[in-house]
Amino acid sequence: MIRTRRTAATLTACVLALLAGTASATTPPSGSAGAGDALAGLPGCDPAALDGAGGPVEITVWSSMKADLLNKTMEDLTNQFNASQTQVKVNYVNQGGYEDTIPKFLDADQRSRPDVVQLPEYMVRSIVDLNTAVPVGACMTAASFDTSAFIPSALAQYRVEGVQWSLPFNVSDPVLLYNKKLFAKAGLDPNIPPTTLDDVVADSKKLVDSGAATYGIAIDSNFDNGGGWFLEQWLAKLGQFYTDGDNGRTARATKATFATPEMATLLTQFQQMVADKTAVYVGDNNSGADHLLAMADKDHPAAMAISTSASIGSVLTILKGGQFPHITPDDVGVAPMPGPGAKGTLVGGASLWINDSGDPAKVAAAWKYLEYMTQAQTQATWAATTGYVAVRTDAQALEPLKTALTDPRFTVAGQQLLDIPAAPTSAGPVVGPLLEVRTAVAEGVAKILTGADVAATLQEMQDQATELITDYNDRNTAG
Amino acid sequence: MRRRWRDVPAAAALLAPSAALLGVFVVYPLARAILLGTRKCNVSGRVCKTVGWHQYVTVWRSAPFQNALGNTLRFVAMTVPIGLVLGVGLAVLADKQLRGIGVFRTIFSSTIASSVAVASLIWLVLLNPQIGLLSHLLKDAFPVVKKPGLLNDGGTAMWGVAISSIWAGLGLTFVIVTAALQSVPRELYESAFVDGAGAWRRFTNVTLPMLSPTLLFVAVVMTARAFQTYGEIDLLTGGGPNSAGRPTETIAYLIYGKSSKIRNDIGIQSATAVLLFVLLLVVSFIQFRVLERRVHYAE
Repeated sequence: MIRTRRTAATLTACVLALLAGTASATTPPSGSAGAGDALAGLPGCDPAALDGAGGPVEITVWSSMKADLLNKTMEDLTNQFNASQTQVKVNYVNQGGYEDTIPKFLDADQRSRPDVVQLPEYMVRSIVDLNTAVPVGACMTAASFDTSAFIPSALAQYRVEGVQWSLPFNVSDPVLLYNKKLFAKAGLDPNIPPTTLDDVVADSKKLVDSGAATYGIAIDSNFDNGGGWFLEQWLAKLGQFYTDGDNGRTARATKATFATPEMATLLTQFQQMVADKTAVYVGDNNSGADHLLAMADKDHPAAMAISTSASIGSVLTILKGGQFPHITPDDVGVAPMPGPGAKGTLVGGASLWINDSGDPAKVAAAWKYLEYMTQAQTQATWAATTGYVAVRTDAQALEPLKTALTDPRFTVAGQQLLDIPAAPTSAGPVVGPLLEVRTAVAEGVAKILTGADVAATLQEMQDQATELITDYNDRNTAG
Repeated sequence: MRRRWRDVPAAAALLAPSAALLGVFVVYPLARAILLGTRKCNVSGRVCKTVGWHQYVTVWRSAPFQNALGNTLRFVAMTVPIGLVLGVGLAVLADKQLRGIGVFRTIFSSTIASSVAVASLIWLVLLNPQIGLLSHLLKDAFPVVKKPGLLNDGGTAMWGVAISSIWAGLGLTFVIVTAALQSVPRELYESAFVDGAGAWRRFTNVTLPMLSPTLLFVAVVMTARAFQTYGEIDLLTGGGPNSAGRPTETIAYLIYGKSSKIRNDIGIQSATAVLLFVLLLVVSFIQFRVLERRVHYAE
């Protein structure tokens, strides 16, 4: 009996791993070669361990949702999980934002780390390198977990070398926000937003020349926005790798490869727009909202800005509040992120990780919590309340998300994740110092947007990124 | 002599609590930071390779540290003298026996009740080029506040941060100097007045000498604070504007800031922190040595 279950589990593991292999690596066979035994040697997961625990298993969860609404919603869902069953009791602890959780989690002793932690997408490689996580793939295999309803690219974002490390929980991606009223005033069709960068350039010119808006588009160089994250998105749209090792997905990345001619063209386009004043450059955007405030500027408005989909909710709420009487919520249009290449975007946001406490019952309890937090009804409530994209498509048919999605502006971000082609470039880069790399990239973008030589600066950015990756690998690999 | 030795156990027992606290929270972390500064560590900071003491030299010579050092010195030179002059000036102005002076004292000292975070957020909004009130009011006199914005221009960003920092620190300086002013004997002023000294003479010959110990203290505290500036940078500029390099990245921000490139490298971070510590030690020592000669300690 036990034996058959084992065999079945192994078989499922192979199938899953093969699927993972094919989904993440259609080109080189190296990805699937090690995938069959990808989970070998990693901490295991036995969901059945919960049954033998005798009484409720207590686990701690660290969340990283800083905004009140997000934190409260996640806590409510956790409380609902506690009330829904008797085997697991979760102690929910909010640590602030990502920047607060990361150092606390990294610096903590393994025994004082929580059983589940919510960490952003740029931390994947670092946490894998910590060697303390239980890959959720092990639980998925053991529990024969059905992932067919999940957005494939959302899962792929947290998969490295064939191992599913964590489960996406809050998902977002960049979208284009535009002012329909200004589009109409400029003689453009407010229902046909620009889809390519050439469209953005042309529409911006019309918007400015007609006097409808002072600027076509507002752009920034924040590392979490236009300065860093967006470049990864555009590269994925172009079907190009950010680093070697297929974005670090099939082998550890050792150097950055984003200084492509296409990237140079793209940056030149933006530089040109700032120079001829069809775009306004709002700087490093330290407040995180400067690009949106440029759209709200009464005297010198910009008609467009690219922003994370997670901001749509707040934008509409603020406009409803009447702080900017010259713009109504209905004036705001949401469109796919414009850019070169294919449709679709990479996944941003964060995922839930299981920490290896050494206690199988706690690992099983953590898995049960993850299952609950990613099930369709939970995600329907979560996405509808917060504006994040539900990690699975079957959540869209459930209330309250069903009603929320009747506003087409909230469907754009989810659709983009489904639109991205099934290619190895469609999973973003995993490198240990991704945040530092984004910072270095953002410095370069800021210089380019204020007139620096594109080719030379782009090369400099890539060299710096490679330097950061090399240094990280040097410190984090044995030998 | 023997009596003295007899006191040792009692003394040790009495000192033990504070010694233990200091040991755990100051001595041990400091020693560990110094040691970590010679190492290269992984992401958890637990698996390390020893590089050696020359890592300190490497860090000192590195371009990011040199840039941060220059920025920090610039920031100190901007904020300490202006903050000191404004604080003393306001305290002297408010040191009058007038009806309703309490209102002004409350206003002048009010920034003591606001944290660095609150002060920075206030200034972030005031200086925002799109919606900021100051940007709106000053746009004709200083076009830079609108395009690209005081904090977005490499040349003025540090001034933007300095203004916020000076404003936030003013309350503390005001309170301390006011307290010191009240302890200056009134007879001194009266006799100076009788001697025919004018207001300025009374200020330079009575007030300043009597205030000098306090001013030394305030200057040292302000300098130490300015050297460790972090919160203002974090909220106002993030070390940028990046288009001009890293013109507002201070040493403290370089160590821990969210857009610092060494933020997950505990070896380099520790080395940088220890260098800042040594720097502060030297600066405070010089301040005491040089300024002490000009300080008049009342007997």
